Amino acid sequence: MVSQSDFKQIDKYVYEIPQSFRADMRVPARFYADPDLLENMLGDKSLEQLANTATLPGVVNYALAMPDIHQGYGFPIGGVVATAWPDGVISPGGVGYDINCGVRLLATHLHQQEVAPYLNDLATMLYHHCPSGVGKGGHVKLKPGELERLVETGARWALKRGFATEEDLVRTEENGCIEGADAGLVSERAKKRGQDQVGTLGAGNHFIEVDEVDEVFDETAAQRTGLFPGQVVVQIHCGSRGFGHQICSDYVNRFQKVIHQYGITLPDRELVCAPLSSPAGQDYLAAMKAAANYAFANRQVLTYHIRRSFEEVLAGKVKNHHVYQVYDIAHNMAKIEEHESQGRKIKVCVHRKGATRAFGPGSPVLPGVYRDIGQPVLVPGSMGTASWVLLGTEGSMNQTFGSTCHGAGRMMSRSKAKKTVWGAELREELEAGGIHVRAGSMAGLAEEAPLAYKDVDKVVEVVHGAGIAKKVARLVPIAVIKG
Amino acid sequence: MAKPKSAKPQANIAFEEIEHTADWALRIQGQDLRQLLLNAARGMSSLLVADLADVPATREEQLEIEAYDAESLLVNWLSELAYRAEVEGIVFAEFDLSRVTPTHLQAAVRGGHVSDLQKHIKAVTYHNLEIIKTDRGLEATVVFDV
Repeated sequence: MVSQSDFKQIDKYVYEIPQSFRADMRVPARFYADPDLLENMLGDKSLEQLANTATLPGVVNYALAMPDIHQGYGFPIGGVVATAWPDGVISPGGVGYDINCGVRLLATHLHQQEVAPYLNDLATMLYHHCPSGVGKGGHVKLKPGELERLVETGARWALKRGFATEEDLVRTEENGCIEGADAGLVSERAKKRGQDQVGTLGAGNHFIEVDEVDEVFDETAAQRTGLFPGQVVVQIHCGSRGFGHQICSDYVNRFQKVIHQYGITLPDRELVCAPLSSPAGQDYLAAMKAAANYAFANRQVLTYHIRRSFEEVLAGKVKNHHVYQVYDIAHNMAKIEEHESQGRKIKVCVHRKGATRAFGPGSPVLPGVYRDIGQPVLVPGSMGTASWVLLGTEGSMNQTFGSTCHGAGRMMSRSKAKKTVWGAELREELEAGGIHVRAGSMAGLAEEAPLAYKDVDKVVEVVHGAGIAKKVARLVPIAVIKG
Repeated sequence: MAKPKSAKPQANIAFEEIEHTADWALRIQGQDLRQLLLNAARGMSSLLVADLADVPATREEQLEIEAYDAESLLVNWLSELAYRAEVEGIVFAEFDLSRVTPTHLQAAVRGGHVSDLQKHIKAVTYHNLEIIKTDRGLEATVVFDV
């Protein structure tokens, strides 16, 4: 276990475990925290896992962790590791099983007061149209060969099928399609798992949430994103479903053998990796991109169903029920990017596992509407607590390979949460607080209870204070839809 | 309130749920590799359904699993069973393992369709996975992504 004496504070919100902490570390490990969050981190193995990631061959500058870090497997959740291209490694565990698990923020032109009389019906309609829960298939039936096209073109497939608008794609990370995906490098088992799950939410921590904009902190950014106090917005949190999980499993399994060809030894088998330039590394990257595209398409189809729900419930009752997209970002991904290291630009593979890309102003990959203000960053809280819209900054580009936090971060195990909270009681509490809840499983609801998570507001204070993101708006939930 | 599941099919042999911040984990024991794999399968199936005794015995199948080493064999074996649960809704509750080596197993498995799985196991991880020798045989802790 890492203890307080093993690291030093190097800035108000930045701590560092020196490379000398362990002989197998290739770089130091840095993490962002305040005193309360630090106490949480010392309560599990997340800092030890962070130190483990500093042993990966080709790791550049330092291994990083965001203030929402918690214990995962292999990598900590909330970890960011950049490895040098082409000789550094790529680690499927550094992306996670739910490849391109991410968040999409949709916005309306409606004030919460306009929607309030219909919110109960809206929650029911969203639950009805957006399949969720264990083993639930979706409404989209794919023709033979269509899954392959979907995973190679992502949200562009959805556009062709009528589930998207051009504007949706522009306001999605990578425009909703990462080039270089190869369905031929995906197992039949993954395809079978993904075949009927397009447009489904799944279970666990995934949700659709209707929120009200509680407060705006940056007028310019709020205007650009169209956000205003009292506004009704919607978040989608989900990923690549069984398709992505199977790809991660397949490659973690394949790499168990491959790793020995390159003489790599690691402290945890879940960290298995292969050089980016190796056949195995290249294959994983192409398969990972296929899963990422599946997730973009998945969130896009859910967007279609959300629009449909708003139309069915609100058409003729409110002036304008139009739902537009603010942005869509990935929380679990490895991306080949250019970043500065020791005064020069280098190409790296940035692993973000439970962390968000947060590119600052001027980045050419951002859509025109956001290019001069920075990339929108979407940070969901837990049920009953706030969520945040942030922006990427110069600081995130300089300090964290253009990365920031992704959520609140768990601090209590699922089994302990289930023993502490009754799902039905939690639902009553949330409903009493004005939040409409639609959930397929009371046990699943209990596992995701707010008390199982850290305080998202504190997490955001740290990234804002450290300059690796900037506050735009705080959202509070008014309806939660879960599997 | 439900207690964490554990079972003692034979003296000193058990599987039990243990705490893990992000997900679910099982500590499994067995006198030998065959029994460790058997208990792992029973343990995982008991996460999927409330009571293994309620699983209908309507299907019997022969499974053959190959792997790189004993830990991979454990992961591949459980991954196969988790896959069948997700894609077909089939849970297996009885397992006869034969020809077990560190890289290969054959098994006759019996179970049936369960309409309402209580948990969805999305992946079986290698996180800190090591089959260790104890004074009672072998032990491993498997973390599941759920």
